[in-house]
Amino acid sequence: MTGTTGPDQGGPRGSPGPRPGGAGAAAVAGGVARQGGTEPDARFTFANERTFLAWSRTGLALIVAGLGIVQLLPPFPGVPWGRHLIGVPLIVLGAIVAVAGYVEWVRNQRALRSGKPVPRSFLPVILTVTIAAIAVISAVVLLLSAAR
Amino acid sequence: MPLSDDPEDRDPGLAEERTRLAWVRTAISFAAVGIAVLKVDVPLGVTVVAMVPFIWLAGRRVAWHAPHGENQPRLLLLIALGIAAIGVVVLVLTLTRGNSPGFHPPHG
Repeated sequence: MTGTTGPDQGGPRGSPGPRPGGAGAAAVAGGVARQGGTEPDARFTFANERTFLAWSRTGLALIVAGLGIVQLLPPFPGVPWGRHLIGVPLIVLGAIVAVAGYVEWVRNQRALRSGKPVPRSFLPVILTVTIAAIAVISAVVLLLSAAR
Repeated sequence: MPLSDDPEDRDPGLAEERTRLAWVRTAISFAAVGIAVLKVDVPLGVTVVAMVPFIWLAGRRVAWHAPHGENQPRLLLLIALGIAAIGVVVLVLTLTRGNSPGFHPPHG
């Protein structure tokens, strides 16, 4: 480990603005996250990889939670579609989170390479809004079921 | 290089170890999810469990200093798409299975 401990010391070498077509094709061949810039501190690369893995596990957990609700829970009395109403959004959210986690990993790695600030993550907002919506749906299903 | 107070500067291997452990956690998650899915759909459960050795091996690459992470974006893309595919299959299962009676533990 040398004295350079931050990507900010690498300097922004990534070319801003539109990329020429030839460079884009080469970047696809050489890996989607290795476009321009310099190799960042290994620790940042590791941290980015762990973040991706954490989102992957989150997605997997959401999918299996949705599956469990629809398949293993007994039906809500009087609300036959209640389990699907709660479980299906969870499954869809899980699949979206897994793919979005990869997209964010690519964006973060590019930012690290070019020494730019890491872009703002949109995943927490998606996760929060969807889970809050599922909570409201769950409450409505439970109330409808209790009213019967 | 002046001796830093940050233990990460003295032992950068800690970041590597954390990453290795994150891969192991991910492999264990796949195993747990696969076994849970076996209860609902055997082929899908077997598929998910079959993915475990690949995730685990991907984590070993970190320890071996073999190409990983940034140098192997396709592996991460495959994992993301694999989870999305599991989600799509699970979605189709839940929408086509009709109304499941739910899981009733045996009375003992």
